[in-house]
Amino acid sequence: MTSSFTRQLRAEKQKGRRRHLILLPLLFLFFQAVWTAWQLSNASPGEIQTGYLLLFHHLPLMNTLLLPMLAAVTASRSCDMELKGDTLKLLYTMQNPSVFFDCKYLAGLRYLLIFTAGQGLLILSSGRLYLFTEPLKWPMLFKHLAVTLLVSAVLLSIQQTLSLLSASQILPLAAGLTGCFLGLFSLFFPAFIARLFIWGYYAAFPVAAMDWERSTRIVRYYEVSFPMAGFLVFLAACTGIYLLCKSITVRKEV
Amino acid sequence: MKPIIRTENLTKQYGSKTVVNEIDLSVPAGSIYGFLGPNGAGKSTTIKLLLGLVRPTAGSMELSGKEITPKNRLDILSQTGSLIESPAYYGHLSGKENLQIICTLKNVPETEIGRVLKIVRMEGQKDKKVRNYSLGMKQRLGLAAAMIGNPRLLLLDEPTNGLDPAGIQEMRELICSLPGQYGITVLVSSHLLSEIDQMATHVGIIDQGELIFQDSLDCLHEHSRSRLLLHTDNDPEAAKLLKHFRIPSEQKDGKLYLRVSEDGLVIKAVAGLVNSGIGILRLNEQQMSLEDIFLHLTGRQVSL
Repeated sequence: MTSSFTRQLRAEKQKGRRRHLILLPLLFLFFQAVWTAWQLSNASPGEIQTGYLLLFHHLPLMNTLLLPMLAAVTASRSCDMELKGDTLKLLYTMQNPSVFFDCKYLAGLRYLLIFTAGQGLLILSSGRLYLFTEPLKWPMLFKHLAVTLLVSAVLLSIQQTLSLLSASQILPLAAGLTGCFLGLFSLFFPAFIARLFIWGYYAAFPVAAMDWERSTRIVRYYEVSFPMAGFLVFLAACTGIYLLCKSITVRKEV
Repeated sequence: MKPIIRTENLTKQYGSKTVVNEIDLSVPAGSIYGFLGPNGAGKSTTIKLLLGLVRPTAGSMELSGKEITPKNRLDILSQTGSLIESPAYYGHLSGKENLQIICTLKNVPETEIGRVLKIVRMEGQKDKKVRNYSLGMKQRLGLAAAMIGNPRLLLLDEPTNGLDPAGIQEMRELICSLPGQYGITVLVSSHLLSEIDQMATHVGIIDQGELIFQDSLDCLHEHSRSRLLLHTDNDPEAAKLLKHFRIPSEQKDGKLYLRVSEDGLVIKAVAGLVNSGIGILRLNEQQMSLEDIFLHLTGRQVSL
């Protein structure tokens, strides 16, 4: 006997037929792969030696620019069909609104997971293709991917809430786009201000850093200790944000 | 008949505005209950309250003899189908795929799809994308979705809204067939009394959030039969005489009406007038217009 939650999750999958949502993470991954290839092709032999560290430093910047938009478009495509078809009134007679929010979220999270896994593969294949001599440190890779997924996941919950509450999808998409820029600019703000912009958190938990010697013009990438305590606090905050988003959506009468 | 829906003092307020005011609905099992009222009277809100889509400010509701609470709402609603305001659908999917989603959510086998499509006569269009359906087809698909799982109760909110006359006729026939053929009780809302008149066995009339009439359709017709248009050769004098005979009458727009339903009183009025030298030209039983019934019940003019 299939559990009620599994059935509701299956219904989300059924709704997604012919929406081609899988193309979204693949498209963003393709863009990121091209960007990475261009970056590595222009890297010096010294940088290539520490290629993994280079990627761990650069990819969070790319993620800041791309992933808020991926989260916004994924949420919008997935919620838009409910609003266009005026289905919430029907669904809420068969589903608990809270479970509906969870299932919709998990269905969207799949695509972010695909992107994150794809980024992991991109890092690994770059190492093979460009012959990085530095051995890959797996914990670094997992930490980088965990941060990528967690920040994307919390952005998805915000975007899903906006998409479900807005009659038009222009507002949530504009919020996603604004988030991209805010996140990017926040990287240049003082740390205490930057912490206010969740879109910039892709670079808030670095596993690698860069040192640029002005006199020699040599760039050096090195491993930094992962701020685990801060990450755990952020994880707790993300859970809080998710629950808040869900509560706002569920409270709204349809 | 035992009520399948029963509410007690059901109230919904938005801020200081009372949209539904202490409604005591009683929908007999096996009936087609016409829920009638002008636009904005509170029909949709009442239906949403019954489905748990909006939270009541006060009062209680029972469906199939069980009080609805947030905890048991979905269990009780598993035996209920609904079509609220406009049909719900996924335009990018076919009719069949839309119904598959309902089957998954209701945990019923997909063999149900063929059955409900046959009822709404849409077997031929099941593989077409719903965004290419006409409004009538979308409404029928909505009805099919509501009937998945063989519910005991259907709540239909203005199901003929926006349909062309042929679509209205088709939807009406479908609804009328449900209690007899499938044992389904139907609560159907409308702002058109003529529509309810052709479908319902029982009627509830709501106005400004208050239930102002609730009984069988026959009882409502009693209101509409209680007026006879009287043409005499001297209407003003006839009116005076009727008042003298203490027979309820009224003059409106230059016409004289007898407000009686008992045959004995009609005979008394006619005989009295003839004996007083008034010539009776015509005596027509006039079906009270829907607006008039509403006016009679509420004391105010609305467009039904």
